[in-house]
Amino acid sequence: MTELADNLIMLKVRDGEVGKLGILFERHHVPLFNYFVKLTGRRDASEDLVQEVFLRMLKYRQGYRGESQFTVWMYRIARNAWVDHFKKAKREVLFNEDDEEPVSEDPNPSDDLEEKQEINQLRTALAKLSPEKREVLVLSRYQEMKYEEIAELLGCAVGTVKARVHRAIKDLKDMYLELSQENAI
Amino acid sequence: MTCKQVTESFPDYLLGSVDEAAKSEIEAHLISCASCKEEVESLRTIWTKLGTLPVEQPSEALRPRFYAMLAAYQQRLQHAPATPRLRDVVNGWLERWWPRQPAFQFAFALLLLIVGLFAGQRLNAPVAHESTEITALRNEVLNMREMVTLTLLRQQSPSERLQGVSWVQRSDRPNEELLSALLHTLNYDPNVNVRLAAVDALYFFVNQPSVRQGLIQSLSRQTSPLVQIALIDLIVELREKRATAALKELMATEKINNEVKLRAEWGIQQLL
Repeated sequence: MTELADNLIMLKVRDGEVGKLGILFERHHVPLFNYFVKLTGRRDASEDLVQEVFLRMLKYRQGYRGESQFTVWMYRIARNAWVDHFKKAKREVLFNEDDEEPVSEDPNPSDDLEEKQEINQLRTALAKLSPEKREVLVLSRYQEMKYEEIAELLGCAVGTVKARVHRAIKDLKDMYLELSQENAI
Repeated sequence: MTCKQVTESFPDYLLGSVDEAAKSEIEAHLISCASCKEEVESLRTIWTKLGTLPVEQPSEALRPRFYAMLAAYQQRLQHAPATPRLRDVVNGWLERWWPRQPAFQFAFALLLLIVGLFAGQRLNAPVAHESTEITALRNEVLNMREMVTLTLLRQQSPSERLQGVSWVQRSDRPNEELLSALLHTLNYDPNVNVRLAAVDALYFFVNQPSVRQGLIQSLSRQTSPLVQIALIDLIVELREKRATAALKELMATEKINNEVKLRAEWGIQQLL
């Protein structure tokens, strides 16, 4: 049980075995990085945010109770870090297309131009979603969190999360289709 | 299952978190309802497509950055107990000095009490010799007050000159300059009230010879009967015998007020 182990490790970190945070870093830094990339659309800011999350884990380790899933606690920190970053950076900076290319080179370069275009369309559509919808979609689809966990993380009812996910997918579908039609012309 | 129920359970259906019974119910509905089927299919397509987004890898710099931060934090933690250690040192030092035997402890406490009492007495005792700094400061203040008094005595407005007179009265030991300024006011101030106030003020400094001399000399210079009478009264009170000549001179003046003449006559008799 990975999650149980995460909880136990974090409890040890809390009680002074600070070096054990390295294990949690190795397990979670890539998903966290992807979470931030999908939320902010920027790689450099996402790396800063990952670093910030682990720093906050150390800072607030005494407050860790181990009651809920470790990932819920981690994403709560991540979410706050993102909100703080969002306040600082202002919205217009994010998803600025003239800015740095937000995504990495495809590790397996595909010759399929159509597939590449699809991926780009999907990214653009995702970026156009409202931050709230994008957040629940990223958490449920990519971070593989259950609706109950997302509800606990966001501090709202499970029904609210489900409804928001539903609307987010619908919006995404509409935007994606719109982009496809634009590109088709 | 209604269309609404299907729509509501759709997010769970996507995640595969519906139980078998609900799942088969949804699927049964989808077979019979074309619009729901279309909706679900399109949403499932996009949901699946989302899975095609490649997993991003952070740059090489992220890992060393994290471990550097962690090492720095650990180092800070290790250095943190420095403060309690210092406290232990102080405690140990005090412990060595504090006697262990109750009798010695009592003696030590008594000694501290005596030292405290002595120190308290020293602190509360009237200061025999104050520091030169305070003396200098006091002189400064006195000089300042004299300057203000002199300035007030030269003002246009009688009320301000009156204030100046009362300021002279307030000073303990006015210097010669201040007293001569006051005598000048007595002799030449155009306002009767100011001159009368000057007579009253000079009363406080009659032990100065120059003041007595000035009072006698002033008799001949005064024109106002009020001031003349006040001066005569003062001189009589001082038992200043040297003033007899001046009083006689005053009586011999041509334009003398009758009241003043009678007063001067009474004065001469008193001084005899």
